[in-house]
Amino acid sequence: MQDAERSIDVSALGPPEPLLLTLAAVEQLRAGEYLRMRHRMKPCLLYDELQRRGYGHDTRRGDNGLCEVFIWRHGDNAAAAAARNAAAALSPWIDA
Amino acid sequence: MRPSTALLSLEQTPPLSVPLRFFLTAPLFGIAAALLALWLGPEAMGSRWQPGVLAFTHLLTLGFLAMVMFGAMFQLLPVLVGVQLRRPVPTSAAIHLLLSGGTLLLVAAFLSDHNAWFIAAAVVLALALGLFIIVIGHALWQARSTHETVCAMKLAVVALAATLVLGLLLVLANIGSDLAPLRALIDVHLAWGLPGWAGLLLVGVAYQVVPMFQITAEYAPRLRRWFAWAVLLLLIAWSLAFLHLPALAWLPGSGLAAAFVLFAVVTLRLQHKRLRRLPDVTVDFWYLGLACLLLAAGLWLLHQFAPQLIRAQWFHLWWGVLVLIGGAGAVISGMLYKIVPFLIWLHLNNRMQQAGLWQGDIPTMRQVISERSARRHLYLHGAATVLLLAGVAWPTLVFYPALLLLAAAYALQLWNLLGALRIYRAVVQQAVTP
Repeated sequence: MQDAERSIDVSALGPPEPLLLTLAAVEQLRAGEYLRMRHRMKPCLLYDELQRRGYGHDTRRGDNGLCEVFIWRHGDNAAAAAARNAAAALSPWIDA
Repeated sequence: MRPSTALLSLEQTPPLSVPLRFFLTAPLFGIAAALLALWLGPEAMGSRWQPGVLAFTHLLTLGFLAMVMFGAMFQLLPVLVGVQLRRPVPTSAAIHLLLSGGTLLLVAAFLSDHNAWFIAAAVVLALALGLFIIVIGHALWQARSTHETVCAMKLAVVALAATLVLGLLLVLANIGSDLAPLRALIDVHLAWGLPGWAGLLLVGVAYQVVPMFQITAEYAPRLRRWFAWAVLLLLIAWSLAFLHLPALAWLPGSGLAAAFVLFAVVTLRLQHKRLRRLPDVTVDFWYLGLACLLLAAGLWLLHQFAPQLIRAQWFHLWWGVLVLIGGAGAVISGMLYKIVPFLIWLHLNNRMQQAGLWQGDIPTMRQVISERSARRHLYLHGAATVLLLAGVAWPTLVFYPALLLLAAAYALQLWNLLGALRIYRAVVQQAVTP
């Protein structure tokens, strides 16, 4: 399943770079692939953009406390299954 | 590093005109304060009790600090707290007009010492601040977010209400001779306005914007939970002691100083360990501001425990320069250099999306206001602060250069902020031109 994963770490970047780089990265996804995005905060502006562009997502709290967002293209069932499978290893993100 | 728990809901951002009208007006009041002091000369600015100093101080506290903080609240409430303000454009325009007018009336009142000006200023400022407290207070108490920023903002609004009431009582004391004993409230008014309203709001906003824009770890949750309440309780204790048990006022006063020293040290530590160590003028504005706040706290403690070491007259003026110009003024200016470029980028992005041109030719945040021009402002602001401090001791030598530098610093800030607006208009114009 690891082959299906593309990752991006934007945790050391300030707004709006995490949004722009993540949107650029999801456009590069091939069939069966999902994006694992790591950030130090929940990227709330991102979700509307993903929705508008036809991507699904699942947000989790990483082991190191970082926010991890798993993103796949709607309709790509293999990518969605792989992303959900990887996300299930982490605890759900609960907003403060 | 722990993640931020910031709850951004940027699609709720109010129109750009709402915060910008406040942000662009604030430097004008800063310029006005410096020009007023230059016009009055050093003889009229040598003691905190002189009308010129009171006028200068209120041009900075109401015209600059409150002006930016009001604009920031209109922007941050919907975005950070997720509360939608009803009719933000007319409400913010009315508050902006009343605050600007009320500040100018109060300056006229101090300089003329006519009761009519004082009454007019009190009525207009009561409307401005009262309307702000009602609108923003109502929104804050509707907020579902339990983030500590919301708590700090609520307590800051409570402190603003106390500052307003105390200010109105001081106007009454000034126009009615039988109410003169109320003048004892001057220091209480100052405490609720500066460490109370301004301090609590700065701290609450810092919880969000320091980790977000300066790429630091979060403030420790334990500190965030108790800090605002501690400041409020210490303010109440200090006010009661100051009025009824002056011999004991040093105790809650030292607690207040210690709380802000702790906040400054924690913030400096977070910034020192920030993840991306590229030059960042905002962080440098914060270094200047926090250093001045630390000096102000130290100066206050020295004045409490060894008053014979500093002339009271100098202490008051130094403390005022350190808190209003070097401290809060620098921190707020630093934040503006992140908030304004981000808002310009965000609104351009929205306009491009509406026009179906995602990411057309949107400038980056660093292109909206360049690091170099913001840094020039920082150097002017820092130099003005140092010279103003020196000018307290050597007014004949340093007074005029210090205030000319201060006027230049605010003028450059205005130029930089207007430059951001020019870029916004140019990009929008380019996008809509066929």
